[in-house]
Amino acid sequence: MMKINNLIKKYGEKTVVNDVSFEIPKGKVISMIGPNGAGKSTVMGMISRLIEPNTGHVEFHGQKLHHWKSKELSKKLAILTQSNNIQMKLTVRELVTFGRFPYCGGRTTKEDEQIIDKAIAYMELNEFENRFIDELSGGQRQRAYIAMVIAQDTEYVLLDEPTNNLDIYHATNLMKTVRKLCDELGKTVILVLHEINYAAFYSDYICAFVNGKIAKFGTVEEIMTKETLSDIYKVDFEIMNIHGKPLSIYY
Amino acid sequence: MNKAIYANRKKLLGLFILVLIASALYMLVEVNFANEKLFNYAMKIRTPKLIVMLIAAFAIGGASIVFQSIINNTIVTPCLLGMNSLYSLIHTSVVFFVGSGSILAVNANLSFIVDLLLMGVIATIIYSYLFKKTNHNVLYVLLIGTVLTSFFTSIQTTLTRVMDPNEYDTLLSSLVASFNNINSEIIMFSLILLAALIFWLRKDLALLDVITLGKHQAINLGVDYDRCIRRLLLGVTLCIAIATAMVGPISFLGLIIANLSRQLLKTYRHSQLILGSTFFGMIVLVGGQMIVEHIFTYSVPISVFITVSGGLYFLYLLLKSRRA
Repeated sequence: MMKINNLIKKYGEKTVVNDVSFEIPKGKVISMIGPNGAGKSTVMGMISRLIEPNTGHVEFHGQKLHHWKSKELSKKLAILTQSNNIQMKLTVRELVTFGRFPYCGGRTTKEDEQIIDKAIAYMELNEFENRFIDELSGGQRQRAYIAMVIAQDTEYVLLDEPTNNLDIYHATNLMKTVRKLCDELGKTVILVLHEINYAAFYSDYICAFVNGKIAKFGTVEEIMTKETLSDIYKVDFEIMNIHGKPLSIYY
Repeated sequence: MNKAIYANRKKLLGLFILVLIASALYMLVEVNFANEKLFNYAMKIRTPKLIVMLIAAFAIGGASIVFQSIINNTIVTPCLLGMNSLYSLIHTSVVFFVGSGSILAVNANLSFIVDLLLMGVIATIIYSYLFKKTNHNVLYVLLIGTVLTSFFTSIQTTLTRVMDPNEYDTLLSSLVASFNNINSEIIMFSLILLAALIFWLRKDLALLDVITLGKHQAINLGVDYDRCIRRLLLGVTLCIAIATAMVGPISFLGLIIANLSRQLLKTYRHSQLILGSTFFGMIVLVGGQMIVEHIFTYSVPISVFITVSGGLYFLYLLLKSRRA
């Protein structure tokens, strides 16, 4: 269980996240949306222990996040951030192998290798297995990172703007993968997204941020209304129902 | 994957053989085998020199690779950021303030320990602050590092200017250690210290592979990032201090050997990278010193060659990374 209690984060005078509390439903896909600078990524950073909150805390399985041993936490919670530049010569398989690091610390067992094989196959990376990461396209690289997260085999997966820099094809496939991670592998996936319609189509819950606060947290149907979205983004919205999902048009 | 490991092991073995050949040549070229006394004399001169060079190669090679991985950039080395100038400054200040007659300056090992302690504390504070403040932005770090280098050097020169000439004289011999004037008194102590360092940092060194994935990934995979970086940085400063104390400052050596090792091995495995960089360092130093001694008959010191070729190599790396 993950519960977020009164998180506040300030950078100097500026309060970036102001008193955010909510509970993350288990086994669902939760998207965090909102305009630039609303504090989504910062909240994500605090949930994943990459950023230290000024006050408030995140409760994870009944224990405060910063009381967890980093190593134990890395078996339960995986985060993928936007900035991933590696200076090293690293093949796809080696990258995915790092996902097993919390369990085996560098020396993989037969079982680890099987999990790595599965993760690579799951992300359809078999043909790139031995290629170097820096020789791949953006979409392929993103898939390699997701495969690493899958190999890490955690209950919770946090993705910070995973569709950034991806074209429509790769972004859509990525969102489908996210859905599969939840439906097939039973993981709780929390994403920061800029594409509202991806959030609407592929997630179960949406948490909308404005000015460092939660504007509204609820199911997709509750958030995806003309009024709510106009309030959040300050532009006009129309909501259409396509394949039983409320999708938005903005202009 | 395993193929790559074996290929790299072969390359490392090749390098190791080259190291052995270079060392053997260094010891045996132009030695008078017929006369036992002359032979022994040559050995007595050459053995400590060889050992010092091998130790220095390891200290510089290892420190450079570790440092590059900490800061996640391959064109920066501890020496470029002024760590060896800092060491010279510390050494000078100690002699300056306690006087050359003091036990702290006279006893080579004791003075070395004092230098190391100061170096460990000061360098770790300065450089970890620098990294934190600039948010690991390499350009800033490099810029500030270059400024620090001349800053430390200027203070050090000022100190030597105002120093008592006699004191300066004693200082000079221990300060400007070079390959023709190596500091062999501290061999034992350095060896012990390096072994202790490796033992103390063995777990952190194993984490280096993960640390190169970047701060966020490292934390995600369960590394206690800040603590690990602090410890490794301390190790790096001590290694640089050892190398500088033994053979004097050689700025570009670390850059050359670390990058040669990375280019040759093309791997993220630090155990292999560090070994490769060490072997390259040994070949460059021992081979270079042999050429200097027997071909140039000491007219050009080896550090000139290293600085010239290192400078060119540095430019090449800069241009290459800009294109990429």
